[in-house]
Formats: sequence, structure tokens, C-alpha cells
Amino acid sequence: MLELDQVAFRYPGSARDYRLTLSAAPGEITAISGPSGSGKSTLFDLIAGFLTPRSGTITLNGQTLVPLTPEARPISILLQAEPLFEHLSVAANLALALPRIARAEQQRRLAAALAEVGLAKYQSRSASTLSGGEKQRAALARTLLLDRPVLLLDEPFSALDDTTRHAMRQLVADLTRRKGWITILISHHADDVRAIARHHYRLENGQLVAATTPD
Amino acid sequence: MLRLPPFNNSTIPPHPRRQIAGAGLALIVTLGLVGALLAILAAGGVGTAPHGGAILALVGLTTLQAGLSTLVSIAVGMALAWALNRLRFFGRGVVIALLSAAIVTPGIVVAFGLISVWGRAGFIADALTALTGTRPDFSIFGLGGIIFAHTILDGAFAARVLLARLDALPPARLKLGQSLGLRAVERFLVLDWPALRGALPGLAAVIFLLAFTSFPIVLMLGGGPANQTIEVAIYAAVRLDFDLGRAVLLALVQIGFCALIVSVSALLRPASLPTAPSQPSRWRDSRPARLGAVLVLLGLGFALLSPLVAVLVEGIPALPVLLTRPTLAPALLASLAIASLSSLLAVALGLIAALARASATRPLVRLLLGAPLLGYLAVPAMVLALGAFLLVRNAGLDPERAAPFVLILANALLVLPFALATLGPPLDMLAQSRGRLLRSLRLSGTVQFFAVELPLIRADLALVLALGFCFSLGDLGIIALFGTDQFATLPLMMMRALGAYRSADAAALAALMLLISGTVFTVLPRLIAKVPDARA
Repeated sequence: MLELDQVAFRYPGSARDYRLTLSAAPGEITAISGPSGSGKSTLFDLIAGFLTPRSGTITLNGQTLVPLTPEARPISILLQAEPLFEHLSVAANLALALPRIARAEQQRRLAAALAEVGLAKYQSRSASTLSGGEKQRAALARTLLLDRPVLLLDEPFSALDDTTRHAMRQLVADLTRRKGWITILISHHADDVRAIARHHYRLENGQLVAATTPD
Repeated sequence: MLRLPPFNNSTIPPHPRRQIAGAGLALIVTLGLVGALLAILAAGGVGTAPHGGAILALVGLTTLQAGLSTLVSIAVGMALAWALNRLRFFGRGVVIALLSAAIVTPGIVVAFGLISVWGRAGFIADALTALTGTRPDFSIFGLGGIIFAHTILDGAFAARVLLARLDALPPARLKLGQSLGLRAVERFLVLDWPALRGALPGLAAVIFLLAFTSFPIVLMLGGGPANQTIEVAIYAAVRLDFDLGRAVLLALVQIGFCALIVSVSALLRPASLPTAPSQPSRWRDSRPARLGAVLVLLGLGFALLSPLVAVLVEGIPALPVLLTRPTLAPALLASLAIASLSSLLAVALGLIAALARASATRPLVRLLLGAPLLGYLAVPAMVLALGAFLLVRNAGLDPERAAPFVLILANALLVLPFALATLGPPLDMLAQSRGRLLRSLRLSGTVQFFAVELPLIRADLALVLALGFCFSLGDLGIIALFGTDQFATLPLMMMRALGAYRSADAAALAALMLLISGTVFTVLPRLIAKVPDARA
């Protein structure tokens, strides 16, 4: 379980106090929604470790994450903007998730991950030539290789067309279920939330409010 | 309530070892700079300092030639950029590559080429004599010659910079202009000028600095004390008059002015534009405007390129004789070794500084890591050479033995600001735009460098390496103070050949330097670009 308990945060010079409590289970997608400026990205940065709470706890299976630097946290991230290094090939982007293993084994796992997201023939393509949906799928393949228990998604489907969006949502939902990931989906699109989230929280006035749970 | 330990959660990957290396480099570079300046200050008071009026006259003359060179270079650059933007023809890419390469042409070679074309016994005078029967009475020596030579180098540079801005105009803006039926003049004023205007102050400051500190061109084309600049006066004080006090005072004046120019240019950075060139526009100007563009291209192309062509025409036939000179091999080897080592050193130091700055988040730390390196912009080659010369002498070392090491170090330091300015921005941008992702991937500094950063900056590294090599190969300022009968480089050997009226040797040496510079500048970046990415 990923749990945020009374996590307090305030930006210097800002009047808004965040006090966040959240619980997310393995194999399920928990969605966070809210209008622009409501603090969705702040929540993302607090969980990922790019912001430090003033008080409160963030734990994963009972182990505190707060003292850990972003790279030490068992969390994969997938961002809407710039999910890949565009000057590298798809294979080179994915290889970053497997830096210290033999080349042959790296190639095998890399090919398997790409096949899983439907990009089997894209290894040698430059990341800059991919469409928005293909970039997101390649980034998802990288999270597969990282295989960390928590996946943080920040508006991952926003720039995609309807067909690609639908396919990506199903892919994320399927992987979350099969891999047992704790997936936190940050999105201001009600469609995305309804389509794949098991739990839904809204950010209002710096607090997370449980919204209706989709069927 | 939980008490939290302090730790780095910046969105930019922290690499303490990089910052330590960068801080060490900044400290060493600062100490070197301060040491050279202190040595210059300590040596002051010896000899006969020039009176204020003489210094003012020198500053005035230097400023005048730099100002005029800047104005003409910008005007020529703008006209060339406009013509190249409007015309599509076979070989356009070669012309643009030549403009890029012009900046690395050694000043001494350009000056020699100008004399070959426009001198009393040059191609133009010969042609006019053949046509009219009398030899024309004009001279390339003096202020006009200096400005002409600077325009060849800096005008081409300006054209390249300004063309990039014109080629990067958003296609939507061009389509709108075309649909509105803008005429050629309106198109320039409404679309081109706003894009060019942003680059002009910064570009002018850079060109002014280059012209202000120009040495070989003024030395060769100045035609005597009437057109001396501070840089040449320092050289004359040290090597010809043996008047160290005068050299020191002039060096301090030079540093003061250069620091002022660098400060102004730092405030006048060009406004950013899209970096990727847009698709070639199909919008063609009217026939008269296109004819004007063709004439501009032919006229300025001839003026800028003919001296370089003349160097090859005159120098290549003389190469076989030059190859028999026993002094060539040592000078060639010295030049190649110094240029290779100093450019490699510049790249290594520039990389250390750029990586350190990219991993620093605090503005003050970034400033401290970069400012000492950029400080070398304000120290002209001649002043740096003078400081190094004094340091070596004060340390009781033999300047002749120290010369190769001083040359390598000094040339590397002079390229360092350019290296940092080239390598820094892409690494900064990577750290800022992909910092979260980089941290999330838990890459070590080594893996991050080889797998992510090196592929990004490989082309920039090649450019710095090539430019560093060419700048160092053509340097005459530092070797002019340290050169001896036993130790010379190609530019110094060429100066000596000119001094001894061995013009065929000088022509061959100019051609040799031009060929080496052109080859390195063209081939090296392509070679490095072809090195396969091990992880791709």
C-alpha cells in the first residue's frame, strides 16, 4: 500500500496549505483530478520526492519514503511532456533502465518490453520521429523494464487522439493489474478517470477528497 | 511530527563530483588569471610609460577601426544573409559552409590573401595595368585594408548567424505574409527585420571585441604606427622596443576596455528564436529583388572569397619548394601538436565546467563555476601571453623551454569561453527539461554522461574541437612573444618569411594553413558524427 498521512506542504510566499491523505493499493489505479492550479503536480512531486513535506508521512508497505531522494524511491514516472530523450533511439532510451546488465540480456528484455507495448519494430527508430502515442508507449515500456512497485502518471494521455488514448488507457490498466503496480494517475480528464481508475480523489483547497469510485 | 533530514530533492540531478571538479577548475583558472595579471602589475613601472595623450590616441584608433569593422561587417553580413535566404541554387550549402569556415581562417592568411588580390602587385592591379597600360595607385595598407580583412572574417560570421535567424522564421508567418502579398521591401521590414534586430546588438558586441583585439591583420595591413592598435603596440613594446613598462600599461588599458565590452555584450544576448530551421519557403520575391539578391551574392561573394582563392592559387604552386625547407617540418609538427593538444584541453576543461554548471541549481554557484572561465574573454591573447611570459620569467624558468606548454595552455584558455558557451546550453536544457526523468532512472554520473549527454553534445564537442584546433593553428599573438629561432609555428614562420621578402614561401605557408584549417573544420565534425553510439 502507498499511503500519504497528513502530508503538509506550503510553497514559500503562498497562502495555500496542502494537507494530503491518500491510500492506494497494488494492482489498482488511483486517480487524482482537479482543476488547473489545484496542486496535482505538487502532489506528484511530493510522492516522487521532488518536494519535501513540512510534516506527515509517505509510506510504501509501511516503509517511509520521505527521507529518500527521488532516485532512491521505488517509483517509476511517466510525464505528459517529454517522456523520452529525443536525441536517442528508442532502444537507447529503454537501455537506460537496464544500465548494468550484459548486452545480450539487455537486448532480449528490451525487445520483450517493446513487444508488450506494441512497438516491437521500433528499436532503432529515433525517439524524435515517434508520434505522441508511440512516445508514451515507449516510455511505458521503460517503466516495465524498471519494474518498480509504484507508477506515477502525470497527464499521460492529454496530447493523444481518441483512438490512441483509448489504447494507452487499456495498456496502463492491463499492466497495472498484471504487474501488481500501485498506479497513481494524475489527470484533469474525467474520461480517463472514469475509464480506468478504481479509486478517485479530487484536490480541493489543498486537500484530497474522495470522489465517487468508478465501477 | 516527523523531523526531516536535509537532502537534495531538486528536479535537476545533483552530481557532487561534477561540481567539485568544476569548482577545482574554476579555482585553478582564476588563480592562473590572477597570477598573470599580478605578474603584469608587478612588472609595471619599468621602462618608459607612454603619456596619456598617446594612450588616448591609441585607444581612439583601436576603437575607430573596431567600430568601422563592426558596422561594415554587420551590413555585409545582413546583405549576404538576405540574399542567401531568398535564393535557392545548387551549391548553396557549400556557400553556407564556407561562411561558417571563414571564422576559423587565420587572420594572417586573410591579410596575405588581401595583399595578393588588392596589393600594388596583386591580381586586380595586374588586371588594371593590362587593361589601361598604367599601374593603378591604390593601397590595401592602412585603415581600409584592416576593415576589409576584418569584414572577410566577421562579415561571413555575421552572415551565418543572421541567415540562421532568417531560415528559422516560422512557416505560418511566411504563409501569412505571402497571402497578404507583401512586396520585397515590406517583407524585409515586416518579417525579416524583427528577426534580425534581436541578434544585432549581441553580434555587434562580439564583432567589436574581435576587431578590437585583432593582432595579425593590423600588424600586416596597418602600414605603420599611424594605424597601430593597442594589441600591436603591446607586441612592439615587448619584442621591438624591449619596453616592459609600456607593454604593461597598455595591457591594463586593453583589459579594462575588453572587460567593458564583454560586460556590455553579456547584456546584449540575442533574443531566442526557434532553433530548428523551418521548411524552405516557396515564396519568391519579385524579379528585380531576386536580381538584386544575385548581384549581392556575386559581389560580396567575390570580395570575401577572392582573397582566400588567391592564397590557394598563389600558394599551392609554391608548396613543393616549401617542403624542401628544413625549418618546415619542426614548425608544422609544433603547430599540429600545439593545436591538437590545446583543442583537446579546451574541450576537456569546457566539458568539466559545462557539466558542473548543469548540475548546479543555485544561481550563485552557477555564476562562480562559469564566470572565471568567461573572464578570459576580457583577456586578449597578447595580454595573456605577456602575463604568462612574465610568470615564466619570474619563476626562473627558461621561456624557450616553457614556450610549448604556455602555448598549449594559453590557446586552450582562450577557447574556453567559447567551449563553455557551446557545450553549456544543451546540457543545461537537458538537466532542466528532463531532470525528473534522469533522477527517476537512477543513472550514475558516468552512465548519464555516456548514454544521455554525450550523444546530445557530440556535434558540439566536434565543433569546439575543430574551432579550437583552427584558432590555435592560426595564432600569432602568443607565439609572437614566445617564439625563438629554434621554436616556431607555421604563422610565425610565415611572418619571418614575409619579413625576409620570401613571398613564395609565405604564400605556400598561407595555403598550407588554409588547407589544414579547412580540412579540419570540414572533416573533424563529420568524423565525430560518424562514431557510432554504443548504446543506440
